[in-house]
This record gives sequence, structure tokens and C-alpha cells, in this order.
Amino acid sequence: MGIEIRVPTILRDCTGGHNPVIIEAVTLAEALARLRETYPLLRIHLYDEAERLRPHVHIYYNEESTQWLDHLDVPLRPGDRLEIVQAVSGG
Amino acid sequence: MRGKTGIVTVLVGTAKGAFFFHADADRRAWKMTGPHLDGWEIYSLYGDSRGSGGNRVFAGTSHFVYGPTIRVSEDMGETWTQVEASPSYSKESGFTLNRIWQIVPGHPTEPDTLYAGVDQAGLFVSRDSGTTWDEVTSLSQHPTREEWGPGNGGLCLHTILVDPSNPQRMWVGISAVGVFRTDDGGQSWKTCNQGLPQVVTGVRTHDVGRCVHKIVLDPKDPKTLYCQFHGGVFKSTDAADSWQAIESGLPSNFGFPMGLTASGDLFVVPLESDMQRHVKDGLLRVYRSRDGGASWSPSGQGLPEQPHYVGVLRDALAVDSLDPAGVYFGTSMGEVFCSPDGGESWDRLPGQFPRITYIKTWVREED
Repeated sequence: MGIEIRVPTILRDCTGGHNPVIIEAVTLAEALARLRETYPLLRIHLYDEAERLRPHVHIYYNEESTQWLDHLDVPLRPGDRLEIVQAVSGG
Repeated sequence: MRGKTGIVTVLVGTAKGAFFFHADADRRAWKMTGPHLDGWEIYSLYGDSRGSGGNRVFAGTSHFVYGPTIRVSEDMGETWTQVEASPSYSKESGFTLNRIWQIVPGHPTEPDTLYAGVDQAGLFVSRDSGTTWDEVTSLSQHPTREEWGPGNGGLCLHTILVDPSNPQRMWVGISAVGVFRTDDGGQSWKTCNQGLPQVVTGVRTHDVGRCVHKIVLDPKDPKTLYCQFHGGVFKSTDAADSWQAIESGLPSNFGFPMGLTASGDLFVVPLESDMQRHVKDGLLRVYRSRDGGASWSPSGQGLPEQPHYVGVLRDALAVDSLDPAGVYFGTSMGEVFCSPDGGESWDRLPGQFPRITYIKTWVREED
């Protein structure tokens, strides 16, 4: 199934200007892996050298950050969505 | 380029995007474009007319959330393409790439070569006109590496100088670390800090721990280099094997940028001290030396007379290659000043911008 992923404006040159993008995947882990494969420029901006999410980056799965989940082996359901979010940092 | 021909572009990087100023060789009437790459920190820019690629602008872009990458434009900033194989450290290196501080061309005999200096300090090279980049591990794994500690601006490799008379020789400058030189095309590097005072960093140091802020090279005599240091202005006449202070006439020896024209005029912007980091006594002045650093005096008329407590960052001053040389600088308050006559007179270019991080000039025959 396809899951919708919303991309912030500043990163849309990584997706050819597309927002949202649709990734075909069965699980959340697969969706995130395929996002990185499909849009390698996005990978540069979301993940550091150790392949960890950058400190101020969150990828929200519906209402929760994927960083707060116990694991990513979650079956996707119709209507699920992902969103790349910049943590509020200062200001 | 000598004489008054060509198109001059001043590439201005800021904390939030880039702006380009274009003029003919008179450099009196400027047309601005931008913001380009709005929202991205721009810590390096390079306009490349070499090779068969036409006119291209490289930008070192970074963001405190989304990290750094190089972008390139082939239409003067109208559109940009990210370089997928931008400089990056391997997972195994243990290093993090935070900013791209410098993008410079290789030796004139190597028109497809570019170098990039980054934070955490390292040097990258591209042999294919910026498409792919490789880490110069001989430098980032230098025997002194464990003694490298960051300064206030980070652990940044901010200066790359290629000897125009010898493609095997280069210098790099790393803030709070010092000067390194290679004489074998980057296979090995020696520290070149004799005469530069040690500064206090968070690390016990021996051959390093020298806080170089900017270095320039005399293209007519590539054994002569000048350095704006954390507290001091220095000259070397032996390819950086040793350094001597040249501060006569300067109101302060603290500052960041340094410029050198083809005719040998040197420019610095003295700041109060590392505590204040604004211009000395609130008076914005560019000091010039016309005798190789033996003496310094304020350059010409036109800079603000009123209190002006701003700073000028290490890469926010540049000269162009025309005769007389144009001199340009930007302030921490987002102003850009221009002298089309080698510092005899100054004008402010229109506009108020985010903090100016970078200025580089680009003189070419035509678009």
C-alpha cells in the first residue's frame, strides 16, 4: 500500500518539488527505508554519518515521532501518514 | 584580469540565503538578484568559468537542523541542483560534517579540480568539476589530529591556498589549530606555525593550537603569505615555514578577514578584541597596507562616521581581479560595502541583509 509522506518546503528540492510523496510499503520500517532509497538527497538532510536521525529532525508517524516508538516493525494501515518535522529549537 | 573589461559579480553569502550583485567593470551601478537558496546558511560560494561547463556557481549550504551539502547553479542562481555526492565523512571516521566553509578551484592546469574545506576540519577534493568528492585523509588523519580543538567558529578548515607556480604545493588554515602545507600534492602535510603564538584551546597542544583566522597568498611571490591571527597580523616570506608580526599602525591586532590585491595591497578590519568582536571604538574602518605589511593606515572615504558596532567575519571581505582592484566586505548587521578603486573610496550597496557570512568576487568576460 502507499503511504503519504509530507516534506517541509526547504527540503522539497530533494523530492523534485513533490509534496507529499507516496511510498509503497507494508511496514513503517520499510516505508522509511524506501524513502531513503527513493530520495537519496533527503537522506543527507535527515540522517547523520552514523545513519541516525539528525538531532532536531523528527519523522512523525500519525501523531507520534518514530523516535518514540519501541520498534518500527509496524504494519501500515489505510490512512496512515508520515511527516518530516523540524523540532522547535530556540526562539 | 587587468583593465576595465568584463562582468563583475559579487557573490554574497548570508545566514539566510545568498545574494548576487552584478556590474560592469566600472563597478558603480549594481543589479542585485536573490535571495537564492533562501533559508539556507551560505558559508561558501564560488563562481566557476573554467573548463567546458560554462558559468556555474557552487554554494556550500548548511542548516542547523538539516545539515550541509553543496548545490550548483548553471543559470546564475535561478535554479539549483544538489550534489548528491557532496563532501561527507564515512561512518567509520567518527567525524561529523557540519558546514562547508570553502570551495576553491584547483591549480590552473587542473580545470576540473575543486577543493572544499569543512567543519569538522577536513579537506575534500573533486576531480570531476564538483560531481563527486573525496576526503583528503592524509590531512584529516594527520598525526596531530588528536590535538585539534574547536574555536568559537567551530573546528573549521576555512582557508585553502593553491600555489600558482607549483601544483604540488598547497596550504590550508584551520581555526584554533594552525597552518599546514603540502609539497607533494596532498600526500603529506607539515605544520607551518613557527612564530604564531599558541592559544588556549580545550586540548593540550604542541605543534598546533594556533588560531589562524584567515591567510592570503601573494600570487606574484608565492613564498609570501599573510595571516590575520586571533591576536596578531603576521607575514611569512618562506612559504609559511616561519611568521613575523606586521602590526605597525593598526589600532588592534584582532580581526578575522584579510584581502590581498594583485598589486599587493593588503586589507584587514581591526576589531576591539576577542571579548567584544566589534570594530575598534565603534568606527568601521578597513585598514590598508601598501608596503607588504610594514605599515598600515585607514583606507579611503565613505564608510560610516557614526557609531557602528558591527563585526566582519573571516570570509566576508574579498577583492576582485581588476585594476584598480575592487574591495568588498559585509558586516554582521547585513550591510555590504564596495570600493571600486582599491580602497580609495567606499559606497554601501543597496539593501539590508541577514548576517554576511561570505563574499567572493567573480570577474568574467561575458555570461
